[in-house]
Order: sequence, then structure tokens, then C-alpha cells
Amino acid sequence: MPETTDTIAAPATPPGRSALAIVRISGPAASAIARQVFGIDALPRTATRADYFDESGVVLDDVLFTRYVAPSSYTGEDLVEISCHGSPLVVQRVLEDLIARGCRLAGPGEFTQRAFLNGRLDLSQAEAVMDVIHARGERALAAANRLLRGELGRRIREFVDALLLVLSRIEAHIDFPEEDLPAEDRGEMLSRLDSLGQGFNKLLATNNYGDILRHGAKVLIVGPTNAGKSSVLNRLVGIERALVSAEPGTTRDYIEEGIEIGGHEVRLIDTAGLNPAPGEIEKLGIDRTIQLLADSDFFLLVIDRTARVQIDPTVLSLMPDSRSVLILNKTDIGGDRPTLSPALARLPAIEVSALTGAGCDAIIEFIGGKLAAMSEDIGESGIAINVRHAEALRRAESGVSDATEKLVAGEPMELIASCLRESLAALGDIAGRIDNERMLDRLFSNFCIGK
Amino acid sequence: MLFDKHFDVIVCGGGHAGAEAALAASRMGASTLLLTGNLDTIGQMSCNPAIGGLAKGQMVREIDALGGEMAINTDLTAIQFRLLNESKGPAVQSPRAQCDKKAYQFRLKHTLELQPNLQLFQAMVTGLIVESRTVLGCRTNLDLEFRGSTVVVTTGTFLRGLMHIGENRNEGGRLGDFSSRTLSDSFVSAGIELRRFKTGTPPRLLGSSINFSVMQEQKGDPDPTCFAFHDTRDSEELFHVEQTGEGRAGWAPGAHKSSCWITYTSPRTSEIVNSNIHRSPLYAGRISGVGPRYCPSIEDKFVKFADKPRHMLFLEPEGRATNEYYVNGLSTSLPFEVQVEMVRSIPGLENAQILRPAYAIEYDYAPPTQLLRSLESRIVGSLFFAGQINGTSGYEEAAAQGLIAGVNAVCKVRGQEPLVMGRHESYIGVLIDDLVTKGTEEPYRMFTSRAEHRLMLNHGSAELRLIGHSERNKLLSKNRISRIHAKKVKIDDVVRELEGRRGESGSTLADQVRRNLAGVSYDSIREMLPPDLVAHGEAVLREAIYQVGYAGYLKREQRQIDKLAGAERVKIPLDFDFLGVRGIRRESAQKLAALRPETLGQAGRVSGVSPADITVIMALLAARGGETSAIP
Repeated sequence: MPETTDTIAAPATPPGRSALAIVRISGPAASAIARQVFGIDALPRTATRADYFDESGVVLDDVLFTRYVAPSSYTGEDLVEISCHGSPLVVQRVLEDLIARGCRLAGPGEFTQRAFLNGRLDLSQAEAVMDVIHARGERALAAANRLLRGELGRRIREFVDALLLVLSRIEAHIDFPEEDLPAEDRGEMLSRLDSLGQGFNKLLATNNYGDILRHGAKVLIVGPTNAGKSSVLNRLVGIERALVSAEPGTTRDYIEEGIEIGGHEVRLIDTAGLNPAPGEIEKLGIDRTIQLLADSDFFLLVIDRTARVQIDPTVLSLMPDSRSVLILNKTDIGGDRPTLSPALARLPAIEVSALTGAGCDAIIEFIGGKLAAMSEDIGESGIAINVRHAEALRRAESGVSDATEKLVAGEPMELIASCLRESLAALGDIAGRIDNERMLDRLFSNFCIGK
Repeated sequence: MLFDKHFDVIVCGGGHAGAEAALAASRMGASTLLLTGNLDTIGQMSCNPAIGGLAKGQMVREIDALGGEMAINTDLTAIQFRLLNESKGPAVQSPRAQCDKKAYQFRLKHTLELQPNLQLFQAMVTGLIVESRTVLGCRTNLDLEFRGSTVVVTTGTFLRGLMHIGENRNEGGRLGDFSSRTLSDSFVSAGIELRRFKTGTPPRLLGSSINFSVMQEQKGDPDPTCFAFHDTRDSEELFHVEQTGEGRAGWAPGAHKSSCWITYTSPRTSEIVNSNIHRSPLYAGRISGVGPRYCPSIEDKFVKFADKPRHMLFLEPEGRATNEYYVNGLSTSLPFEVQVEMVRSIPGLENAQILRPAYAIEYDYAPPTQLLRSLESRIVGSLFFAGQINGTSGYEEAAAQGLIAGVNAVCKVRGQEPLVMGRHESYIGVLIDDLVTKGTEEPYRMFTSRAEHRLMLNHGSAELRLIGHSERNKLLSKNRISRIHAKKVKIDDVVRELEGRRGESGSTLADQVRRNLAGVSYDSIREMLPPDLVAHGEAVLREAIYQVGYAGYLKREQRQIDKLAGAERVKIPLDFDFLGVRGIRRESAQKLAALRPETLGQAGRVSGVSPADITVIMALLAARGGETSAIP
């Protein structure tokens, strides 16, 4: 049996919205990953219902999963099939989590390839698979070509170009040490790699912005019970739609309202209050809130400015500081404000009165400012990169940052070249394989080689 | 007239490829004939008198690991050794040597003469004898026909060789040598496609007419880095080379030391070249062949890099018993009178006397995509090609192919599996895979950047990487094989010691090496090791330190190799109908049909072929049945 040392994952169902989506994992670590994710060791070949916990312990979805043990599986390796809800976002989160756990995103036809190499493909399967693979390959190719002709393609080509420039210089010095070449300038290399790294990160940031353009920005309103979350939502929407009552815990599941800020669709989502001692029904609501946290773009943490407040650390940990704002409600009541806990004090804060509407404009400005910054980062291109691109870009980025580290540490050039080649190969996964000939073309056109 | 003996292997050509092919075949015990147009030019260095350099040096060490001659022949006839790239990392360090051109030839010729099972004969091969798409032997200009089970063609630049010096044109494979027209015709009529390449060589100067005092001296290293693995080779080959009793040329490595000299072109050189550019056959359109980008003529340098004020030139001595100097960097096809003017415009060469003019040469090569990975022709059975005729350049590239073609000719005669190396195992593997899978658009030279697993191909590990192949094909003596195995054990011992032993700081020596790849020297590590391990010798210690320092990288490379290993093992039948595959893109199908890869791995390296195409082919192979069972 051929050695396959890595574990691969990919959706087995076509992209897009559907009732159910299947994500497949194959390879030596498949069973162990299932155990980590679901916390149980299910019987092989038995569909088991379980919550999908991501690495930080958040439930991503309620799924059915089935475990197959090598060699009795489609690929002939340990294999796990996860059947989750068919939202593209859920599938994306699950894939991102699997990648974080060490899986590699499978290439087109890679499951079938493994099945073939392990002798698991019989004649009729092979014929059926051929047509499917071909059709899928063609579709993927057409989609990729469309994408590459556009703005994303231009950006990737720029990255490839910049990388080839640095790499061809290093390679010229390695392969032609006897030539009269311009001196190696580590400082210049560092600054080129730095701007490449920034470019990767900017494009990676559009991963989120792409989602925002497609589905609207999700603004989650969270906070303790009776802090006035629904009132804030109502103020922002400008209409009294949410059911408001002074009795804690009225909003048990969640309520969503759409508004527009600076040309962006914004979805305001009001959640169940965080009650330190929740009842049964509220517990369900809070679980749902935690699920929503993982999915949202911005967070409005609404608290009663006159009350002493403690927020569940799990909830806080899911709210990145850079995308969160603390809403200190009830300025209309007056009185002294108790000292905030350090975790809350570090967040930017806006004082409002949901009752009078005072200060609510600042919330709109905050969200608008964040969205404008994201859109500025990517110019007017509106590139929307998908999970596959993001994974490849992250690899490209880590190649460049490894190379930078080694340059600074004065490590041998052959290792720096090796990191940059990894980076180039990752970009090749988006834009098509980049042959060494391209590097050589660059090298020979830039340097007069010929002893 | 038919020569009365039938041979297992007939080698046509006695250059670097031919010599290795003949030695490999006869050393494996096959009855071998080497035919050459001139026995006095066996192993001739037609271009510069140097062996090795980046990637080439590694290849020469691989040749030694596979029982070839180039490494030891260089070690024993070199007049300068240098280890290049000492600062850029151990994987890209390469040995290089200047050789005494004549001593190199004499020793190689004598080695061939002394070789059992090998017969040498001087005759010009004029054609192949081919029947029902299989080669049976060859014809010569002496009306003598030779019959053999296999034929290895290593004719270099001699096929319709045409030399240019300005408007002057001469037919020949090298200045002073003949060219073969009829052999080209014989290939074409057998259905083998030929194309034209071009290369060039600089003028040779008389040393006593050169003013070295204005030039920069380039000395060799005080301690030679040898090409052959002297620590595992049989001792009789190593010592007493001066007293072989058989008069073989050669001396102990490092016994003779010469210098090279560096000078630069002047502004006047640039003026001379530019004002005569129209007289260069290349620029006047009289040369149609494609030349190499890495070895441009001086006219190309001044035209394409007009902003570069001067170009560096190296004067390399051609040997101990001659005063001839090779002017590396001054290749040209300008008319002789322009060459004289040009040479005299260079500092130190004001009074230089040209002994041989520079010239460009056009020649036929047979695009190597017509070959199987064994270097056997796909078109004519039992016919093998090696060296410059395959579109390569360089002595080392030629020798490597010659060795493999010689081994595989014997495998063919004996009905054994051919010797095919992976790209991760050796530069030779990269070379042959590139040639037969992609072909080449210019004379092919090896660069380290061509090897995707470069970090695994450090020169010191060649024997360890290739021991499986040399053992399976009996390319080395039993003694040497067991010494290599013993060396492996010693290296493992030292690795274990480095991983286990803790220094004063509490971390293991291995961690110290890894944390400070830039700063830990070989000497400092050696001092930290117990004397019994130091006694294993420098080669063992260096390799162990390499394996420890690069452990993480080597593991990563190995993972990538393992990932692709399955596809490399899946064979595609030679008659596979790519154009008939339903569901593969037309463009890919045409490319694959033209290149006819032998394995799925090779197919995946064809440019423009997508992973989806590969999966479709794979599924079809499975559907046909049988092929899957071939997978171990």
C-alpha cells in the first residue's frame, strides 16, 4: 500500500445552499480527529448524532457522522463522513476547523485517487467516477479561470511576480556563485518579503469581507438579561419591532433585523440575555448565542452602565477586541458608574440611552467605520476569496514569514529559498502550477549569466 | 565486411558519455565495443578544462556512487580544487576542479584500455543497421559492420556539426575534427526526429603572451574536496597512483596546484563588439540553432545587457604540460580579425597570442522526448541515446547519461528491469526525468534549482542515496558495498549521539545544531563529540551533522515524496491511447499523446495537465483492470 502520511478533508457535496452537506475526512488521523471533535468513539459504519465542537470548544452544528475503518472504506483509509446543515457558512467553518486540526484541503479527485491507489476502485465505480470527476474538474476549472481573469487573478499574479523576483535573485546567487552578480542585499529582500506578507494578509482579510458582501455583515447584540439589548436594536432599526418587556429573558432565541450602513447590508441580531443562572429554555438560547458568536462579524456588548456586570469568559473569548464595542446603556438614569472589569475596560465604549436614542448614532458610525476600513483594504475590487483560496494564501503567507525569520537569523540561503518555494507552490494551488522554468526565465532575463 | 564478433553492447562515441557507457557495460560483465572516430580524443574536454560546479559537482559524486569513472579521473588529474557555496548551506555546496586536460584524457583512455570485456576500435560510424524497428548494429567508414544486441549512441556535437567564425564556415564536430552527415540521415530514415542546437567556445591563448600581473589571482582550496568517495573506494585504486606500474596518468589529489586569473572586458571591448555585431553569424541570421541562455556569447552579453559596463573573464590553465589558456566568458563567433582586436582590448591581454580562435557550432540533436526513462529509443528498439545528442550540454550531464544508458543496455540484454531513478534520489534522476518528460528548448544544463527536493541531494550523501541502485545492478565491488553499509551504521551512531548527548546548557547537541544553523561550525561540533565517534572520520561526521541539522526539512521533503510515491509507481502502458480517453481535456490529451509518459507521476508533471485529467486517466487504468494489481 502506498504511504499517505497526511489526512485530507473536503466537502463531498456540491457547493451552495442545500438541506444537507457532507464533509469527508480521509487518512490516518481521521478517527482521532472525529474523537476530538465529537468527544465520542462511535461504532464504525453507524451514523451517530453529535454536536460538532470546534477547537475552541464552540458548537458549530448538530451533525450526523459515520466512521469507516481502513481498509473498509471508499478510500481504503480511515474515513469519516460528517453530514451537517447545508449552509455554506457551516461547511466553511467545519473545513476551517479541520484544517486547524491538521487536515489538508483535498485537491480535486484526491479521494478517488487514494481509492485507486489503495485498490478500492472497481470497474463500474471507476467508470462512473470518471464522468463525475471530469465534469467537476471542468466546472472547477471554468470557475477558477473566471476568477483568475478578474481582480483576484491580477493580485495573485502580482504576488507570484514579486516572489519570483526575490527567489530568482537567491537562486542566481546559489547556482552561479562565480558570476559577477550584484551583491546580495538581505535588507532589500526583507522589505520585499514584508510587503508581500502585508499583501497576503490584506487579501486574507477579504475572506471575511467577501462573506459580508455576499451575506451582509452580521452584528450580534449580546449582553446580560435586562441590559436593554432589544431596545438598542429597536433604536438602530428605528422601528419598534422587537418584543420588549421588563421581565428578564423575553428574547429567548434571537431576532434579526436588516438595515443598511454605508452601502453595506447589515444584519442586526438580538440574542437571548446572558443570565448567570439560566432556566432550561434560556440555556438553549444561550447555546444558540455562543453558536452565533462564532459566525458574526461585529459585536455590540450591551450592559447596564449602572450595574455591576460579569460576562461569561467563554462569550468574551469569542469576541475579538478589534471587532467589538461596549455599549453602556441607560445614560438616562444617571448616577455613578461602577468600575469595569479589566476584560471589559479594554473594549472601546459608547455611552447611549436606548430610551431617548442619545448616543445611538455613534454605534452606526462605529459599524460604518469598520466596514469602510475593510472595503478600503481591498480597494474597489470587491474580491471575495473562498476557503480554498484562504487556505492557500495562509500557506503562502507562512512561507514568506518563515523565510523572513531565517533571513533575520542569518540562516543559509538554501533554506530561505525552500520557504519561498513553499509559498510559490501555495500560490500555484490558486493560479495553476508555477514551473521552475518561470523562475529561470526571470533569472536569465535579469542577470547576465555566462562564465 | 562483418566484424567476426557479436557484442552485447556497442557504444558509438568516446566522449564523456561514451566512456562511461562502455565502462559501465563492461564492468557489469557484458561484452562491449567502443567505436570512436579518433582514439586520441577519448574523454576530450572540448570546452573548458573543468569538472563540477553547482549541481554538476553533485552529479559527478553520484556517478562515483554508481561505479562511474568521472569522479576518480578528475581527482587524479586535477590541478585545482575548490568547494563552491560554502556559505549558502550544505545542500548547495559543490566541488569543482580544474583538470589537466591531457592527463584527464590519457588516464581515461588507459582505463578503457585496461578494462576487461571492453574492446576499443577506431572507426567512424556512418549508419545504423535497423530491421523491423530494432537496431542490430552499425556501419563504419571502413566498410566494416559491427553487430550487437544493443547500441548506445553518444555522438555529441558531431552530427552535421557546422562551425562558424564570422563568415567562415567549416564542417566538423569540433575544431580539427570530422562531422558525420550520413549518421544523421540514418537516424532520420529510421524515423527519429532531429533538430538543431548551437553552442560556442572562446579563444585559447598562449600563456607566455598574457600579462597576469594586472589580473586577480584565483587560487584553489588548500585542502581538496574530492569527487570520488575515497573513504569507501577500494584502496588499490586510491594510493600509489604514481606507481600503478601501468603508466596510467594521474597524481594524488592536490599534488599539483595551479591558479586561474580574473580580468574584465574594457569599454573598448564593448565598442569593438557593438561596431562589428552585424558580422556575427548569430546576428546576421546565419545560425538557426538555439543556444543556451546560461552561456551566451560575448556579443549577446553586450547586446542584451547593454547597461552592464564590463563582463568578468576567467583565464583557466589547460594543463601542466601546456601553456595554453582558456578564456572563460569570451565565447564568440565574430570573425577572427575582430577576435584579435577584442582580445587585445582586455587588460592583461594587450599582447595575447590566440592559439585557437573562438567559434560557434551548430549540430543535430535528437529531442529526448523520443526516449523512454531508460534512455532507450521509443522508435528503434535496443537503441540507446546519451549525452549531447539528447540536447544537453556539459561533460557531467553527458557522463551521467552515458553511465545510465550503459547500465540499461546491459539490463535490456539480460531482460532485467532498467535502472530508473526518482527525482528525489539524485540529480541524475532529475536530469533524465526532465529530458524524457519535458524535452528541452535550449541545450540543457543542470541547476540545483531544477531539483524540487534539493535539500536531500547534498553531495556527501550520494552513495547513501544510491546504494539500492548500485547494489541491485552490481555496479560496485562487494567490498565497497559493505563499506557503504558500514558507513551508514556509523552515521546513525553519530546521529544518535548528537540527539542524546547534552551540552553544558542542558539542551542536546542536536538542538544546538538546529537552533544555530548559521553559527555552529563543523569543528566546534567535532570538539564536543567523544573520540571514538570522531574517529569515524570527517565524511561520516559531516553527513551526521547534516542529517541532524536539517532533520525537520528532510522529514518535510520525505512527506511530500511519500505523497507522490503512489502515482510514481503506477505504470501507463506504452500503447495507452490518450486521445481516445473520454473526459480528458483535448489540450491535455494531445500533449500526453505526444510525450507518452510511462507513469502517472510523469504524466502529472507534463505542463498544462490538470489533476482532474490525471484522475480520469487513473480511473480508466483501474477500469481496464490489471494495472491496479501492479501496485505494491
